[in-house]
Amino acid sequence: MLWTALYFPQLPIEILTVGLDREIALAISRSHRGRETISRCNAVAAAQGICPGLPVQAALALHAGLRVLPRSEADEASALQGLALWAYQFSPRIAFEPLTLLLETGASRRLFGGLEPLSRLLDRELDQLGHQYRRAVAPTPTAAGLLARTRPGATAQTPESLRRQINDIALAQLTRNPEVRALIDDIGLNSIGECLTLPRAELARRTGPRLILLFDRLLGSVPDPRPPWQPPDRFEQRLELPGEITHHTALAFPAQRLIITLCGYLLGRGAATQHLTWRLEHREAAATEFRQGLLKPSRDAGHMLDIFRERIERVRLPEPVVAMGLTVTGWLHFEEQTADLLRNPSDAEDGAFLERLRNRLGDARVQGLSTVPDYRPERAWRWCGPGTGQGDDTDERRHPLWLLDPPCPLGVREQRPDYGGRLELEHLPERIETGWWDGCDVARDYFVARNPAGERLWVFRDRRSGGWYLHGLFD
Amino acid sequence: MTNVSLEKLVKRGALWRGRQGVAAVESVEPTGWESLDALIGGWPRGALTELLSNRHSGLPLLMPALSRLSRTERWLLWTAPPHLPYAPALAARGVQMERVLVIREASHAQRLWAAEQAMRSSACAAVMAWFEHLETAPLRRLQLAAEQGGCLGILFRPISAIRQNSPAALRLRIVPTAAGLDVEVLKRRGGWGGGRCLIRL
Repeated sequence: MLWTALYFPQLPIEILTVGLDREIALAISRSHRGRETISRCNAVAAAQGICPGLPVQAALALHAGLRVLPRSEADEASALQGLALWAYQFSPRIAFEPLTLLLETGASRRLFGGLEPLSRLLDRELDQLGHQYRRAVAPTPTAAGLLARTRPGATAQTPESLRRQINDIALAQLTRNPEVRALIDDIGLNSIGECLTLPRAELARRTGPRLILLFDRLLGSVPDPRPPWQPPDRFEQRLELPGEITHHTALAFPAQRLIITLCGYLLGRGAATQHLTWRLEHREAAATEFRQGLLKPSRDAGHMLDIFRERIERVRLPEPVVAMGLTVTGWLHFEEQTADLLRNPSDAEDGAFLERLRNRLGDARVQGLSTVPDYRPERAWRWCGPGTGQGDDTDERRHPLWLLDPPCPLGVREQRPDYGGRLELEHLPERIETGWWDGCDVARDYFVARNPAGERLWVFRDRRSGGWYLHGLFD
Repeated sequence: MTNVSLEKLVKRGALWRGRQGVAAVESVEPTGWESLDALIGGWPRGALTELLSNRHSGLPLLMPALSRLSRTERWLLWTAPPHLPYAPALAARGVQMERVLVIREASHAQRLWAAEQAMRSSACAAVMAWFEHLETAPLRRLQLAAEQGGCLGILFRPISAIRQNSPAALRLRIVPTAAGLDVEVLKRRGGWGGGRCLIRL
C-alpha cells in the first residue's frame, strides 16, 4: 500500500474566501483560556504584520479592516468531504485526518501511468480548485499524514526510506492526543528517531502501549484500519460565498470549483451526467434555481464551465448571490467516445455548438421544423427537436416559402384585397376545406396574388365570412 | 495591426482589388440558377453574402443551394427569421428537414451572438440572419466568423444598408417584379459590381 496525503493548512481560511474576486485580510481566531488569539491568517493579513499567536485586539489595532472569524470545524469537515468527492477519481480508498485527505494510491497509480503523472494531475487540479496544499507519499496513512504536515513533498515508498525521513521529526508532531502528548513530554526524548533507537521493551516500559501502537501504525508493523468512506449516491455541494456576488461573470469562479469537484466524482464513479441543477442563494429573496442541460453525457469540466457561462447569462438575479449549490442526481454510465470523435470531429463540434445555443437561448427557442400531413397550412408543420425534423415531400411547389402565423387579415378595396396596394389574383383558387373532425374546420379559397410593388403573396378568402387574409409570401 | 502583410489581407479577402480579380479560385457554392451563376460564380463559401431588399426578399434564390447543403451533415441555421419558414414548401424544394435549425424570437444582441457562434463553429453549412440595423464592427466580426467556419453567411438586410460600407464578399440588391426576382450585383469579391439578371421563379 502506498498512501498519498494531501494536507490543506489554509483550509479554515480558504473556505471563507472562495469566490472572492478581491483579496481581503482574513484571520481565524482561537479562544484559549478566555483569551482570543489569532490562529491562522491569510497572506494579505500577514503583510499587515498579523501572525498566529497575536491577541485579536492587537491584530485589529494593526489593521482595522481585518476580518476575524471563529474557526468552524463543521465547515472544514464539509469542505474536506467536498475534496474527497473530487479525489474519488484518484482512489477508491479515502480516509480523513484533520485538514488532511489520505488517498490509497498504491493500487490506482497504475491507472495513471505511475506515481509521478498521478502527482502532476493532483497538483494541476488542486491549483484550479484554489487550495494551498502539501503532499507526501508513504506506505502507511499515519506516516503519509505526518510527512505531509512536517516534510511536504516527501516521498517514502519503502519502510527503510520512511524511517530515514521521519528520524528528525519532533515527537510532538506525531499526535494531537493530549494524553499521549503528556507522555511524550515526560519521557524526555525529542525526535522520533531517538525513540526508535530505544529497545522496544524499554520503550514500552517507559511509555505504555499507546505510543507503541502509534509507532507500529506509523511504520506499518500493525494494520492501521481506517473507516472506509463511501461517496454518496447524490452529488450535492454548496459553497458559501464571503462577498455578495452581483455579476454573472463573477459566478464562474465558484462554479468552476463545484464543477471540478463534480467531474472528479463522476470520473471516480465511471459515470457522466447530462443535467446539472444550480441553486443560487440570496440574503432575502427565494433561491434562484436553474438547470444546465448538456446534449450528451459529459464529465469534462472545461466543457461544463463553458456551457455554464452561456447558461448563467440567461438567469435573472433578484439579489446578489451569497451561496451557490450544485446538485446532480442522475447520471449514466460513461461510454468512452474518443474513438468516435476522432473519426468524426464534426460530431463533437456539432454537439458543442447546439449546446451553447440552447443553454444561452433556451431549448424552446432553438428548434427544428417538421412537416405534418394536414391540408390546413397552419397545421401542416410543427416545431420539433433539432435534428428530428421530417419532411414529407408533398410536391407542393406552388406553396410559398414563408408562412404568416397567424394569417393577417387584409383590408378590401373595390371588392379586391389590398396589401401595399390592390392585389391582382393570378391563379385559379386552390380550395382547402377540412377539419370538421377536430373542431378546427376551415373552408378557404387560396390565391397567388401580386401587389403593385411586384411582391408575390399567398392570400385566401374565408368562404364562410368572406374575409380576406394574407397567409404566405413567395419572395 | 501594423504588420499585417498585403498577402495576408488578400488571402483573408480583406482587400478589394477592383477588376484584377483574384488569382486563387474562390470556393463557391453554385446557386443552381444558370444566369445567376454566370453573373457571380456562386455563393461564396467562408464569407458573407448580403441580400438587400425592401421586405426580406431573396430566399427563393437560395433554395437550390440550401437543398444541396441539407444533404451534408451540417445545419442550415435560420437566425430569427421574420416569418415562419413553411416546412412543406421547404421539403417540396428538396430540403432535408432534419438539418433545418431555427432560432425563434431573439433580441438583436442574441441574434448577433448566435449568428457569430454559428458561422464560426463549422457546424453549419449555411447561416441566415435578418437584421434591420447592423453596425460595421459586428458586420466585420460576422465576416471573420464566416471565414473561420467556412459556411455561407447570408444576411438579409433592408435596402437602406446600401449606403453602408460592408466587408461582405457579395452584395446583391433584390427587387421583386411581375416577371420574377430582379437581381443586381452591388459588389462582389475580386470584381466590380453592376451586372444584373432576372430570376424567374
